[in-house]
Amino acid sequence: MAAMKKRIDLALFTALGLAGIFILLPFGSSAEFSFREYSTDGKLLHSFAPYRWIIEQPEFLSHLLLSFKLAFIAVLFTAILVVPSVAWLHLKAQSFRPIVEIVTLLPLVIPVVALSIGVQAAFPDWLQSTEYELPLMYVVLSLPFTFRILDNGLQAIPLKTISEASRGLGANWPKTIFYVIAPVMRTAVAGAFFLTFALSLGEFTLTSLLHWDTFPTWVTSVSQQNIIGAIALSVFSLAVAFLILLLVGLFSSRSKKRTEVAE
Amino acid sequence: MKSGTLELNGVSRRFGQTVALDNLNLRIGAGEMVALLGPSGCGKTTALRIVAGLERSDSGSVKLQDRDVTNVPAHLRNMGMVFQSYSLFPNLSAVENVEFGLKMRKVERTSRRKSALELLELVGLNTQSKRFPHQLSGGQQQRVALARALAIQPEVLLLDEPLSALDAQVRTNLREEIRRLQLSLGTTTLFVTHDQEEAMAISDRVGVMSNGRLEQIDIPDVLYNNPASTFVANFVGTMNHIPAIASGDTVNIFGKQVRIKNSHSGSGEVSALVRPESITVMRSQGAGQAKIVTRSFLGASSQIVCQLPDGAIIQSLMPSYSTGELHPGEEVNLSISLDEVLVTHV
Repeated sequence: MAAMKKRIDLALFTALGLAGIFILLPFGSSAEFSFREYSTDGKLLHSFAPYRWIIEQPEFLSHLLLSFKLAFIAVLFTAILVVPSVAWLHLKAQSFRPIVEIVTLLPLVIPVVALSIGVQAAFPDWLQSTEYELPLMYVVLSLPFTFRILDNGLQAIPLKTISEASRGLGANWPKTIFYVIAPVMRTAVAGAFFLTFALSLGEFTLTSLLHWDTFPTWVTSVSQQNIIGAIALSVFSLAVAFLILLLVGLFSSRSKKRTEVAE
Repeated sequence: MKSGTLELNGVSRRFGQTVALDNLNLRIGAGEMVALLGPSGCGKTTALRIVAGLERSDSGSVKLQDRDVTNVPAHLRNMGMVFQSYSLFPNLSAVENVEFGLKMRKVERTSRRKSALELLELVGLNTQSKRFPHQLSGGQQQRVALARALAIQPEVLLLDEPLSALDAQVRTNLREEIRRLQLSLGTTTLFVTHDQEEAMAISDRVGVMSNGRLEQIDIPDVLYNNPASTFVANFVGTMNHIPAIASGDTVNIFGKQVRIKNSHSGSGEVSALVRPESITVMRSQGAGQAKIVTRSFLGASSQIVCQLPDGAIIQSLMPSYSTGELHPGEEVNLSISLDEVLVTHV
């Protein structure tokens, strides 16, 4: 018995170790590469020069801020459109769920080129002339993931009966949403927000096809002239994404901590 | 708030082609506990949900004491409800769950905490008040749900199959506890269940429903001993269907002429409905009316299962002291101790 457990542990650690190498090795290599600087006689040095170079670029901050702004708006749309829709689906329209589930998969199946043409055909001109058409499309592109996160989160909760219980105890609909539905959905919602944000921040293909210039498209154009600088930029944005993930993790584990205190 | 009477007048509800409730009339007195009993799909849960305001009725009215609440939304009805699936708020601790209704009523923090703890003590959970629903067993969760429903001092307590998800042992304990609390608080209670034993054990009156209609509502004794219809007779308790020949308004059962209680059309082959305890099995000398299949000792009484020559199975329940002589395979005679029976046509 103990020997078997040991063997399972060994297998587990091997798998984890391999996965770790697979993920961390490219990241570590890029990080190493991003600090490279060559002296005049061609010797390899390491310094913060590529990062200094980033900050010196006048476009750096404007592109970064634009991408953050667009990602933030995409999250806002997810909060206003997607979250209530999925909650409503669970509360009142369970029979539509399978259909919606399939529809939300479409952004993965339809080529981005087709999507970009669809945008040009469907969006009114005034919308196409502003960068705010992008977050709308980011919401659509992240739908396959956000829908599944929210849907899975709600599967585990009998949303219908607990909201009925809440109403029976004297809470009207707004109070039920505020005190019951929102808190129980918090972890799933945080996950959906994070995914929308990260996907929007990194979206390249559609943005480029619609001829907008955001942080990812700018990084690509930078790589044409300064490859080390471009890698440094990528490492930087990865670090930012990791930081956000960490924050979301802390945020959603607060409820878990509360339960531990109770024991 | 004092518990009041609850009245349903001509309440009907259809879901598409299905009639869930067909002109339901029901009056529950102040402090009374009434169970609605029936197979699934008989409309009992729909009735309860209409009372709670979670479902609308197509016609008819719901009255609480003297107030017509037919069109009052659920959150203004002041009714406590306990669901089959516990439905505690998973993000709140036991005591916070119990407090919820009082919080919605803007009761001040310390006083609502105090009454919530008192209620948890009443259901025997005062030591687990800080636990979260996932840290409690099913029985404990349902106790919290009960405390939560009672915390708002409801005019009516609604129980929707509250015991169905629990183990047999917990179920029996909790049902006694529900009854004890209900009696001591004097809360008017509507209890929906498909378990007849549960309904009969703790309710003042039991209403048997089928196909959206109330077949009979009465105290458990009357329901069992004097069912108004063959549906009620079959649904409540064990019932033998004895093949017999009717002639006019009597029927011959095991050689005894018995009056037929219900209206039926003409003579001929019928099934007589007889409870096991109304049938006595006696050893016969030589060939008898039936043969014993099994005898099960149940303590004070024993169950004798016999088979008639035509294959029909008859169950009898007799005091154990009078069944010592009866063994499987023996030829026996049967007699019934009734003067009138319900019959159904074969």
